Amino acid sequence: MNSKKRYGFVIDVARCIDCRACQVACSVENNVPMDQTRIWVQDLGVKGEFPNLERIFVPYNCMHCEHPPCTEVCVSGATYKDQNTGLVLVDQGACIGCGFCVDACPYNARYLDKKRGVVDKCNACLPRVEQGKQPACVATCVGGSRMFGNLNDPQSEVSLALKNARFVMRLDYEANGHDTDPNIYYINAPSMVGLELSGDTRQPLVTQSGFLPRDPQYSLAEQGWKKVLTPLLFAGIGASFLVQAVYFTKQLIEGEKEFEE
Amino acid sequence: MSYKAIPLEERRRLRDKKYKKHNLANILTHWFNVGMWLLLLPTGIAIISSPRLGLSPVWWQEMFRNLFGNTANLIRFHSTLGLIWTFVLTFNILLGFRRYFVPFAATRMLLDKDDLDWLRIKPLQMLGFMKGKPLPPQDAYNAGQKLYMYVVILGTIGIMSSGIVMTFNTVFPPWIKQWAQPLHWVSVFAIVAGLIIHVYMGAVFPEEKEAFFSMFSGKVSAWYARAHHEKWYWLKVREELQWEEQVAKEVEETGQTTI
Repeated sequence: MNSKKRYGFVIDVARCIDCRACQVACSVENNVPMDQTRIWVQDLGVKGEFPNLERIFVPYNCMHCEHPPCTEVCVSGATYKDQNTGLVLVDQGACIGCGFCVDACPYNARYLDKKRGVVDKCNACLPRVEQGKQPACVATCVGGSRMFGNLNDPQSEVSLALKNARFVMRLDYEANGHDTDPNIYYINAPSMVGLELSGDTRQPLVTQSGFLPRDPQYSLAEQGWKKVLTPLLFAGIGASFLVQAVYFTKQLIEGEKEFEE
Repeated sequence: MSYKAIPLEERRRLRDKKYKKHNLANILTHWFNVGMWLLLLPTGIAIISSPRLGLSPVWWQEMFRNLFGNTANLIRFHSTLGLIWTFVLTFNILLGFRRYFVPFAATRMLLDKDDLDWLRIKPLQMLGFMKGKPLPPQDAYNAGQKLYMYVVILGTIGIMSSGIVMTFNTVFPPWIKQWAQPLHWVSVFAIVAGLIIHVYMGAVFPEEKEAFFSMFSGKVSAWYARAHHEKWYWLKVREELQWEEQVAKEVEETGQTTI
């Protein structure tokens, strides 16, 4: 067994009734501003043909990816993949709220807290988890749809739920050199993928703002820094260093002439 | 006349004679700036940890994060020191020492025709061409130094303004904070590119040894001035002659030869 924790969510889609108690509990627990949320519930609408109708709701929040595109763009390392818990966290003391990571997240799981000038997102209620409690959304989930735990522990609730599930899927993003490997597993929801019971289907989630996962976005500032300014300045610094090195070598070889300064 | 034709006796006299090149305001501000750069540059490089940019070694980032406990403390140290640096430099230049810096900027920074010639000839000479061609005489600062001074001034303004944007992160909108980061970095490393030459020329290069010690004493020998900053040397000589004439006139007017 892997000694390190890999916290993740398992969401039983068949049990979600779109009551959004998780959103309320999350906002209360984490002081989320009124115009923001860390959890979303997507209504996929009515599926199937009468009378075999089905209505599917897909809750989602930060997927705490194994390979998150958001942490790669953070200039200061304010957002990072925590080595001990496997959670993607934001150190708001180090964050200046520039929003590079908000653009890069394929799941739109981050928001800018304009009042505090920082980025905020799901932290799996880490202070609660450290005390042995469940995250607020999980603790409050009326239908028992949301589960949370250590995916590396085969005896944990999430691992057992995954083992016994009829069907498992993830909103994995594998494109443009990324493989996010999200740590939210959706179980028991064949309708989400058109009733096809195949294990590795990666159908996108249709949200109001488009499909998730989406392509990571990189702003002009971030792109220009990486692609233009960095090579340009390394050339400049390299040239400057070279000139200095040539003269210094010459100085070492020729030696210093006394009284000639 | 090239300084190389100056005979021994005259060289001896010139070596003993000193001219004041830097005033105390300049020296103090320079060394304050050096100290701050020594603290701010390593911590700044340690902060930039984006693997997408790949601008600093991981062991360096981790060393400083361990030293300060965490990323937030490292950034707090860097931004607090940066604000002190910004305040002291701005205060010194605009208020405290303005009597020294404003005339300094007015008389020593402008590029003239000789400077432009120097900029044409010197780089070619460094590459090994036009070895025989003499360099045009230079002011208190040569054209390369003058050019670098503009880079430093613009870069410093860039560092300070973008640093303030990033420090007071609740005030500015995200797009400004996004652009402040590359601006901060570019400003720093435009200065660093020149700084490598600046430090080498100032502290290591044998012919410029006097320049290094002048950053403590403020003074250079007339010989050094004659050899490296000829125009400034003749300016100093003219000033001296004017002063001598002035004294002679005063003595004549009062008609006294003894006190």
